[in-house]
Amino acid sequence: MPTIEVNYQDLQTLVGEHIPLDVLQEEGILYAKGEIEEIEGEVLKVDIKDTNRPDLWSAEGIARELQGRYGTKKGLPAYAVKPSGLTVKVSPKLKNIRPLTVCAVVKKLNITPDVLSQMIQLQEKISVTFGRNRKEVAIGVYDLHKIKGPIKFTSVKPDGIRFAPLEFNQKMTPAEILKKHPKGLEYGGLLKGLKEYPLFIDSAGEVLSIPPIINSNHTGKISTATGDIFIECSGFNFKFLVPALNTIVAALADRGGQIQSVRVDYPDGVRHTPDLRPKKTKVNVDYVKEVSGLKLSRGQICELLEEARYETRPKGKSIELLYSAYRQDIMHPRDVIEDVIISYGYNRIKPVFPKLVTTGGVSDIEKFSDAVTDVMIGLGFQETLSYMLTNKNALFGRMNLPEGDVVEIENIVSSNWSVFRNWLIPANMEFLAKNKHRTYPQNIFEVGDIITPDRAMETKTRDRRRIAASSSGARTGYEYMASVLDALFSSLGLEYQLVPARHPTFITGRVAEIRYNRKSVGILGEIHPKVLNSWDIENPVVSFEIDLGKIL
Amino acid sequence: MAEARKKTPDFSIALSWAKKNKWVRIEKGKIVIVKKPTKIEEREALRNIDLKKPVGERMLRVLISRKLVEKVRKDSYKKIKKMAGKEVTTLSPELIKTGMWKHVKIKPYNVSVRGEKLYPGKRQPYNRFLLQVRQKLVELGFREMTGPVIESEFWNFDALFQAQSHPSRDWAQTYTLKKPRQGFLPSKKLVERVSAAHENGWKTGSTGWGYKWDPMKAANLMPRAHGTACSARQLARGVDVPGKYFAIKRCFRPDVIDATHGVEFNQCEGIIIDESLNFEKMLGILKMFAIEIAGAVEVRFYPDYYPFTEPSVQLSAKHPQLGWIEFAGAGIFRPELTEPLGVKQPVLAWGLGIDRLAMCKLGIKDIRHLFSQDIDWLRRQRVTV
Repeated sequence: MPTIEVNYQDLQTLVGEHIPLDVLQEEGILYAKGEIEEIEGEVLKVDIKDTNRPDLWSAEGIARELQGRYGTKKGLPAYAVKPSGLTVKVSPKLKNIRPLTVCAVVKKLNITPDVLSQMIQLQEKISVTFGRNRKEVAIGVYDLHKIKGPIKFTSVKPDGIRFAPLEFNQKMTPAEILKKHPKGLEYGGLLKGLKEYPLFIDSAGEVLSIPPIINSNHTGKISTATGDIFIECSGFNFKFLVPALNTIVAALADRGGQIQSVRVDYPDGVRHTPDLRPKKTKVNVDYVKEVSGLKLSRGQICELLEEARYETRPKGKSIELLYSAYRQDIMHPRDVIEDVIISYGYNRIKPVFPKLVTTGGVSDIEKFSDAVTDVMIGLGFQETLSYMLTNKNALFGRMNLPEGDVVEIENIVSSNWSVFRNWLIPANMEFLAKNKHRTYPQNIFEVGDIITPDRAMETKTRDRRRIAASSSGARTGYEYMASVLDALFSSLGLEYQLVPARHPTFITGRVAEIRYNRKSVGILGEIHPKVLNSWDIENPVVSFEIDLGKIL
Repeated sequence: MAEARKKTPDFSIALSWAKKNKWVRIEKGKIVIVKKPTKIEEREALRNIDLKKPVGERMLRVLISRKLVEKVRKDSYKKIKKMAGKEVTTLSPELIKTGMWKHVKIKPYNVSVRGEKLYPGKRQPYNRFLLQVRQKLVELGFREMTGPVIESEFWNFDALFQAQSHPSRDWAQTYTLKKPRQGFLPSKKLVERVSAAHENGWKTGSTGWGYKWDPMKAANLMPRAHGTACSARQLARGVDVPGKYFAIKRCFRPDVIDATHGVEFNQCEGIIIDESLNFEKMLGILKMFAIEIAGAVEVRFYPDYYPFTEPSVQLSAKHPQLGWIEFAGAGIFRPELTEPLGVKQPVLAWGLGIDRLAMCKLGIKDIRHLFSQDIDWLRRQRVTV
């Protein structure tokens, strides 16, 4: 869901048609799976919903979809590629560092401010969103005339070379860049633990970049004065690199640039990139109708796909398709069918409500929880709701308990939410602690799940539905909560026993185990003043907690 | 003794009385009868009182202490007679019983003064809202699905055909567990199918994601990140055809916490399975949800993207008071998801943005407030939504 900015005038120029703003907003932008979120003068802020279609994340990409639907250009966009004669040699040293690159040359670009801002934005969105924050895709763009081929993609020791990084005049080693340059600080983690860093360097010894961190200030600075450029994408997997490069060069070709290929010499073979030959797939006409529900003829389907920039070749019940090399999202005919429906227009479809006879219902534990809740409300208790995530101090320390075994989060956002609750009374205590200046008595309860470790389970944990109820106030007491508990069990039609117990959370001699069918199902007691002090609660509290699954 | 406890009302009182009178004694948890009482003095005394016959002083004290009779002072009648013609504040039981209320004036109150504040027991407002949504779905023929809070990545992601390198599986997007770390994977057959779907599309006609699937990653445990994990489990367990299922479940994400993001939230999701289903009908179902649950007067559909559905759609609903809200996301589950789980029919998957709707309906600006810890706010809430 990247949000991109496009200029309304620039977009219309690219499409070659005037599209009224309301038409663009209501209909046009949907063809690019977008939604206009904000309009500021000429600038449209567009949320593109498809995280798997980087080709849509630029004015050029949106324009291609609009061209198809508003009639100026349909069918497959064609991109011619001539060889540039430039070679990039990939060193075997990169094997465990950053082994792959795909490169291209684009010539005769007229880099207007709109072109420059779109190019920078697309590069940024691809490397961050599609390229997993530069891990999978790092992109470098350079002024071709400042580079002397062949280029080497190799590795260098952190202090093995000095060059001025982008926006800096002073020369630095890669190690220094990681410590001082803002991009070094931001992306340095990607090189953590490596003995050598990746390096693009030309045959004159001029540094291009240390991917995925930063370009050099000399070769890697693009302006409106630049005409011919060299582009490289580096990473670990062609599945990410190829669509990234293809998307960028296609956008530049749409701006009038000429795409030229680069010979990339790998230790085990040669690749010529970019490869913009269209890809092939096919769909069955009946399958399109079955999935969409639309009554479409083969001809209509072909027309809708041409609008979505496919080339179509109908053959019997099936349609053979060619689509652009920048698309990597088509895995199954379903993906093509969605394009048919988008072309047709989601809001043109008349929704049909299916008549399916089924019986509804909820699980027994939910029904039982509702019954328990009803009784508690009848007894004048206010229901509360709290997070299942809490911390050990709330569960143990403040409850005067030794630390026990709980389910723990690794990547915590806040230490307040670092473990899952393993009992529910602490949630009552936290609530009462936050309301000590409110009117008493405070009678509260919560019905919710707790989680306990259990090695035998598939997920090594077990969820348990519990109720915790507490009464707090100057005049509340053990007898009162014993009555509430009795009322609850009687209303549920259940027999129970109270057996004197010991529990550090409660006052000795005022705590009982609740038994049902001779099994322990909960606890009732007056909270120990030590616990009240630790929560800074100034009124007595009497609580009970019951495992509802055990009395269901 | 346990048996006697079951059969006898007020067992403990009966037992202690019987022991005191030496009628029984307890031996090794069993009640042994020492002698059977020939006459029970209390019973006789009560009968005498009833017949207005005299009863001994000692026996009277016993009966009063056991609250079997109540002592009423004779002079209280005299006191009440004195009240004739006077104004009384309290209409006492004596006044009612003796008929003296006819001879006294009952003091009027200032009835225009409101009563003191009293707080009834109530449902937590957000929970009440969730309950209403649940009831609505049950009325519409949906059956509740279940699943654990702590899930394996397998059920949360892999079974939903979300590639192992997908950004939403990144640790910035998903909680991971420190303890316990890994769970068990389901049956070998199911794991093999899911793994093949990821690697090469299995028998679904898909290319798959084209990478080496790692069972160790799939076994990692995590708090459920979306309710769709329950749908995956339901499909694998087996579904009715036609079938409609839903789940309203607590989900967890390590989001930066602000007014619109919490680390815990509820998702309302579900699936519908039938041979006859298609995209047109998907839109019909979503529109019905918007009208029935969000009270929408107008809807708009937007193309959308979810890793596990294709085609996908988002619905915005126009509420007469609240305006346009993004209300639902849906799609037809990808065959790479349903077929390995053993389902051949189309499966429509939908999710409703109920937290946002709850916030609108409860007039809450901050999502954290749904779990309000302020008893005054809870006490102030209306019981209608």
